[in-house]
Amino acid sequence: MARTTFQVEVLTPEGAIFDEQVEMLSTRTEVGSLGILANHTPLLGMLAPTELRLYRSETDIVRFAQGEGYIQVGENRALVLVEDAVRPEDLDVDALREKLKTAEAELAAAAPGTEAQRRAQRDKRRCEAFLEVAGVDTGH
Amino acid sequence: MAQRDVKQRIDSVKNIRKITSAMQMVAAARLRRAELRIAALRPYAGAIRRMTRQAAAAAGGEIASMPILQQHEQENVVAVLLVTGDRGLAGAFNSQIIRAGLRAAAEYEAEGKTVRFYASGRRGVSSLVFRNLDPAGRYIGFTDRPSYADARDIAQDLVQAYVDGEVDRVEVFYNGYVSALTQEVRREVLLPLQRATIDEAIAEAEAEDGPETGHHALVEYEPDPDVILERLVPDYVEISIYRALLESTASEHGARMTAMRSASENAAEVIEDLTLEMNRARQAEITQEIMEVVAGAESLT
Repeated sequence: MARTTFQVEVLTPEGAIFDEQVEMLSTRTEVGSLGILANHTPLLGMLAPTELRLYRSETDIVRFAQGEGYIQVGENRALVLVEDAVRPEDLDVDALREKLKTAEAELAAAAPGTEAQRRAQRDKRRCEAFLEVAGVDTGH
Repeated sequence: MAQRDVKQRIDSVKNIRKITSAMQMVAAARLRRAELRIAALRPYAGAIRRMTRQAAAAAGGEIASMPILQQHEQENVVAVLLVTGDRGLAGAFNSQIIRAGLRAAAEYEAEGKTVRFYASGRRGVSSLVFRNLDPAGRYIGFTDRPSYADARDIAQDLVQAYVDGEVDRVEVFYNGYVSALTQEVRREVLLPLQRATIDEAIAEAEAEDGPETGHHALVEYEPDPDVILERLVPDYVEISIYRALLESTASEHGARMTAMRSASENAAEVIEDLTLEMNRARQAEITQEIMEVVAGAESLT
């Protein structure tokens, strides 16, 4: 039997890219992996780059490579607010590898404790997560 | 001018008109798309405001200690971000931004401050380079269709320069989109981020949602609300820059549409004048021939 569904909206600065009923949503907050089912308690979470999975059913899964963002759950709805959400097949692996290299070089050059270092770390983390979604082994 | 020359000129002006009216139509189509993208940002910005309100209420305390909200003790270096386009043929669109930025820079320099330039758009970058004002940040290749990632790159460069103490103030100059016919130069302070910006956002979210109901007490936070707030606040800088890029793009297409419309109208006028001139030349030629025939006939009798 199908599970109870709830409404999920995925919103980016470039518009809504998903607004449907799903059985389950899985993503990652800065604290750890997170799965949401219908009637979840209200939640406000800060998302880390990872693969966002939206289960229309057990077999019908919509996937996105998700950048940093936020999730708000309440009243049996979930709002996923992310800076970028890319379909895995639209990821440009070469461009991501290039960006990862730049971020690693910047990280090596940055002085500890500076904003430059924090920024390079965030860029590196996003590139690694996106590469992983694209199915590339980054050694993590 | 001989008839043939005039005819050639008419043909070339007609060709120019074809190009300018095609460019006008392309600009109109792109303008519509740019307007849609400005509209698409609204729900996201609204959701960020609502989350800020919720996190701020739960954190309950001070957010003023964040480095991007803090004014530096001395204001020695001012960063100026010029938002222009990659291409010209858009009337005063690019030049008015460059002019406004340079004027502000001259004022800061008169006060003894150093100005550091950042530019998005090939036009802005090349005019700065031409003036030997080497821009610290150059962002090109996306002004037709800026993405949020482009805005984030710019924002993170500026935030980093501010937080790491390389600059003490950041201002942006861009063409604000009023309508297809009207664009205005806007000058905004990006950093230090004004505490009022956050307070206004929270107030706006309250106006949209109604007053706090208290049910947030039961909300789970992952991680703690003050940590969430610490990331939400810098998002305002990114969103401001993204909005500036989008408005600039819409303004560019609007300005180009207007510029190309008047170019097409001018071409039509020129064609009309030249056609008149050609007819006059033809008439003169015919008159001349008749005179010759008449003179010839007269000499025979």
